[in-house]
Amino acid sequence: MQNVNLKMSATTYHKTVVYGLVSLLAIPVIATLVYSLAQRWGATITPDGFTFDWYLQLWQDPRFLAAFGRSLLLCFISLAVSCALIIPTIFVVFYYFPRLDSWMNLLILLPFAVPPVVSSVGLLQLYADGPIPIVGTPWVLIGTYFTIALPFMYRALANSLQGINLRDLMDAAHLLGASTPRAFVSIVLPNIRKGLLASLFLSFSFLLGEFVFANILVGTRFETLQVYLYNMRQTSGHFTSALVMSYFFFTLFLTWLATRFSR
Amino acid sequence: MNYVEVSNLSKCFGQNTVFEGINLTIKQGEFVTLLGPSGCGKSTLLRCIAGLNDVDNGNIIVKGEDITHAAPQTRGIGMVFQSYALFPNMTVWDNIAFGLKMQKVSAADLKQQVGKVIELVELNGREQYYPHQLSGGQRQRVALARALVVKPRILLLDEPLSALDARIRKHLREQIRTIQKEMNLTTIFVTHDQEEALTMSDRIFLMNKGEIVQSGTAEEIYTQPASEFVASFMGNYNLLGAKQVHDIFGMSINGKLAIRPESIYVREAGRQYGEHISAPVLANVVSHQLLGNVIRYQVVLSQDETQQPNVVPTPSIIVDMLNRSSERLFEQGTKLELMFNKNEMQEVA
Repeated sequence: MQNVNLKMSATTYHKTVVYGLVSLLAIPVIATLVYSLAQRWGATITPDGFTFDWYLQLWQDPRFLAAFGRSLLLCFISLAVSCALIIPTIFVVFYYFPRLDSWMNLLILLPFAVPPVVSSVGLLQLYADGPIPIVGTPWVLIGTYFTIALPFMYRALANSLQGINLRDLMDAAHLLGASTPRAFVSIVLPNIRKGLLASLFLSFSFLLGEFVFANILVGTRFETLQVYLYNMRQTSGHFTSALVMSYFFFTLFLTWLATRFSR
Repeated sequence: MNYVEVSNLSKCFGQNTVFEGINLTIKQGEFVTLLGPSGCGKSTLLRCIAGLNDVDNGNIIVKGEDITHAAPQTRGIGMVFQSYALFPNMTVWDNIAFGLKMQKVSAADLKQQVGKVIELVELNGREQYYPHQLSGGQRQRVALARALVVKPRILLLDEPLSALDARIRKHLREQIRTIQKEMNLTTIFVTHDQEEALTMSDRIFLMNKGEIVQSGTAEEIYTQPASEFVASFMGNYNLLGAKQVHDIFGMSINGKLAIRPESIYVREAGRQYGEHISAPVLANVVSHQLLGNVIRYQVVLSQDETQQPNVVPTPSIIVDMLNRSSERLFEQGTKLELMFNKNEMQEVA
């Protein structure tokens, strides 16, 4: 009986901690949500009334829609480039040079090791002029976003590949008459699909929220969603709250998709 | 005419020589085993024959054609891996059909051939299962079917049974041997299990440290070990040094003397056979199977020719004898006299 009581109090304690923490973290999100729906919320404790006007205003603003479109475009191109480069690379590493994996693990830490502010200064100097003057164009962001997506995608794909017996599967396919590209397409790709999709969604939501590189390297010359949000900071707080919430729900949806696919 | 001819084959990984100067020949339809402790190079040799590893020196000739440097896709070799290597994203049916699809076999032929081989390995009803839904033994049968369906010139089996439990291993062992005989398939089997090698093989190549130390039939390898290694690897031989041999037997030898435990006669002093031993019954040897230290004979009891022909079918009886094959290995048709110990007969319901 005492044991059961102990167990009960233990779960109650755990639940209190978890729910308490979640509520605490949810406060700013809920406050922003309420603020984005409020008509006016100044000197009173509760808002004067509720309205969807801020959202309507936001979603009818051509500048917002353009920025959103640019962000989506940037993310899509960056991830397409990442897929095209990382998938063959990781296959080569795992199939032909397994020893390189430890080097790759070091390499993918680099984007984390150097703070974005520091590396963006370096990138500015490198690409402002010289042979490839691409600062201020979306191209420099695509290149940078590739390095940001690399760790996510590499780790997820490496885990998928470690989960299958790559060498034996390739050997079996070869002996059954398949060429290496054919074996890659019909056997390796389907087996890393889940990891690939999950990492793509994760990288996507991460890149969509990227601000530092976008602002320093390109700024208003190719205004992305985050830069737009930053430039709108002087306008009504209700309006920016609606913007933040729109972005939040979009990312939430993507994260939900990611967890669904990784199961 | 040899079907497979491997001559002077060598392979190293960097400084490390895996094997050197390997020679072996295999006849068509023969079941040979590469037997040896782990790390002796047997699996690498098999992979070289499959074309999955390149060789540094020597030749591999199949049916008169030099395939030493041919791509694995073109060798016409089927292989079953210890890890099964089934494609996890494909069903049983798609796994087995993969090789035929690569050969661009027509849909109707494909359906017929895959269906046939699924029947052969007794996987009917499991066609739409995925590998992770199957037991180990079933997975290995899928792997076998996948290798067989393309009608390979040689079948390579790389320790296909070592990941399975004993009962399934025994069953699959017989199944593989039956199918191999039925299809007259030239087969190279790799194992470290001497019992497996003895029961399955037409011929055994025993390897150690990258060399073939002895080759021959199961009986030859088991009863006439050429070296101390073979003797200790193949059975529970008693190994006596020259000094001991001299002291016990008064013989002088150079190496060591290997004596199999079952070849030693034991007789209890003064013992006589009594009432409980039956009168001799005549029998004919049908076949024998080597189980290592035991030889298992299948015999039929024969009728006394003076009697009326009996309507009851002649009973077939299994007789185990300790393996003393150097002095008596009863070939098919040998006439024997059986005596039954009545105390060992158990009446059952």
